[in-house]
Amino acid sequence: MMHLVDTIEVESEHVDGYLELVRTLGMAVMTDAGATFVSCATTPGGLGEPQHVQVVWSCDDFVHWNEIRKNMVLDPRYHEYGSTAASLRVGGSRRFFVPVTLSPSP
Amino acid sequence: MLRRFEVYALGPDAPVDGVHALEAACRLCGRFIPEVLDCAIGRNLSDAPVQLVWEHAYASPDAYGRYMVHPYHAVVVDRHLLPDAPERIVIDGPLGAGLYGYACDTPAYRMSGGGVRRLVLLRVDNEASETDLSRLRQELERTPEDVPEMVVSVMAANSMGSAWFDGVTPIMGPPRWTHLWEQGFPSLDALDSYRRGESTMAGVERAGWDAGTGGIVKRSAELYYEVWGG
Repeated sequence: MMHLVDTIEVESEHVDGYLELVRTLGMAVMTDAGATFVSCATTPGGLGEPQHVQVVWSCDDFVHWNEIRKNMVLDPRYHEYGSTAASLRVGGSRRFFVPVTLSPSP
Repeated sequence: MLRRFEVYALGPDAPVDGVHALEAACRLCGRFIPEVLDCAIGRNLSDAPVQLVWEHAYASPDAYGRYMVHPYHAVVVDRHLLPDAPERIVIDGPLGAGLYGYACDTPAYRMSGGGVRRLVLLRVDNEASETDLSRLRQELERTPEDVPEMVVSVMAANSMGSAWFDGVTPIMGPPRWTHLWEQGFPSLDALDSYRRGESTMAGVERAGWDAGTGGIVKRSAELYYEVWGG
């Protein structure tokens, strides 16, 4: 199992809009393409600085991701999702995480 | 072999660091994915509204398939490109989908020691006969006989534009640009010499492709850039 972790920097007044975008269009596009929703969380608001929205998706591996990417690119909704997300964020990153095994201490 | 070009229009607010990171991701791709051959980039110098070109090749569709599923592709390259990627710096360009390419038997596109690449995008009449297409291809690929400074001349159908997933199977409709004419020159001066020269094809290009091609070329656009290899 592999995780795709998007960490999005959003001005506080756009956090609700970004979450709604993920809940609706993002969820539909990503899950229809074959990804699995894992979690969504935000940093605390009301602190006088932009917030971060973390959205985590999972898939089997990079072969699976290749299929998901194809399905997304061929889905017209994906491009609407991407452009709307871009209009709401001020920064962020995407990273892929693969599991590791931690051996017990000797 | 599969010859492939990705062409990027950069967002007006694309950060310089991000542009350099995308350039490096493309230029160095072959170091991390051995199946990616002849990797090079260039900054487009034509009037076409795109800024960056990544040229490369694969020995076979199987090799292309290994590139498609390689972590470097998803993690490092796509970070700058996918529509929902937070670090995206490209925009959808008016030249149509920014992926072009063709199948070839040999790497006839190679230039020793770098130089200038010119890519002429052609929209050929879909009613054109195979005979007319074959004649056009022969005329274009014979151009170096008249133009010694043109060291590469390959004309082929833009098969990668619609078969970008596996390099073979079209998964989209016909591309806006049906054919490519890939050229190579040792320098910008050599390219300029061709464009201003008296060769048959330079004249055809200046005349807007109406003369000498049977009228089967309906539109064209060009990109050219100094090749910066990986």
